Amino acid sequence: MTNTVIVSPDLEALLQNGLNKSALTCLHCPSRILNPSVGNYIEKEFSLPSMTKQKDQTDIEKHPVKDFLKVADMFQFENVGFSHTADGVKYLTCADCEMGPIGWHDLQTKECFVALSRVRSS
Amino acid sequence: MSIYLCFVVVFSLLLRFITDHFDPNVSATIGVDFKTKKVTVDGNTVKLAIWDTAGVERFRTLTPSYYRNAQGAIVVYDVSRRDTFNKMQTWLDELDTYTTKRNIVKMIVGNKIDKDTREVTREEGIKFAKRHSALYIESSAKTRDGVECAFEELVQKIIQTPGLWEASAGTITVSQDEGQGGLPKCGGWTCSMN
Repeated sequence: MTNTVIVSPDLEALLQNGLNKSALTCLHCPSRILNPSVGNYIEKEFSLPSMTKQKDQTDIEKHPVKDFLKVADMFQFENVGFSHTADGVKYLTCADCEMGPIGWHDLQTKECFVALSRVRSS
Repeated sequence: MSIYLCFVVVFSLLLRFITDHFDPNVSATIGVDFKTKKVTVDGNTVKLAIWDTAGVERFRTLTPSYYRNAQGAIVVYDVSRRDTFNKMQTWLDELDTYTTKRNIVKMIVGNKIDKDTREVTREEGIKFAKRHSALYIESSAKTRDGVECAFEELVQKIIQTPGLWEASAGTITVSQDEGQGGLPKCGGWTCSMN
């Protein structure tokens, strides 16, 4: 892992009573991922594969992320995509442009975790 | 009222976000298994579970599990590429063979009509759709509106089709198939009525 940077979003501006204050959209397209007050803030360290890689790059870099919004049921999302199972989890992506991973899905508990740093609060 | 529907969407051509310098990481390496989407039709929120088969297309044949229990199917082709139109016959044959619902609602979407190099006419598309008792619409690749519209129209049609969902007094939910009692459905996930 090189160039590891953890970007902590300004939590106070994003949260209200521990829930996401505004709707979340994709960073790359206008697709709405989550409505306001659906995700519960949780601090939990998890390594997510990088969102982008150079065309000639074959290895996948992972970056530790710690600020997540927990979504209990996959049908609470407005639009979201689930990857095939990899590393024992399913990664979350934008349902429209498929950029990701924007979080991960726990196959045992069925809970989803959206990385605050990988979505836009509108 | 909330309704859950199980869908199969076949993209004969991938609609992807790709820039000059970067590959979309997840789709390029792991691939997308399924999506959930909300669509509002006639004031009802419909939650869709969509198996987008584009990710497995390169392995040629889809496993029958993708088609089982689907109430609707959308097949998208590229009007500027005849090969994607020709391939639809195979998809629809597979659909007819494997679906467990007799009156599954089918829709064909002719995509990329904004391109100058159109190879398949609107008339051909409509004729093909009629032959397979499918709905037909056309969409532009520049906006996602056409595809969104396809979902809404298909959902409307499913709601109007007796027998496809009305038996469920409650909702249809999606849960992971634990592998008991036969073959996995919908790519290892199963739709059940509560």
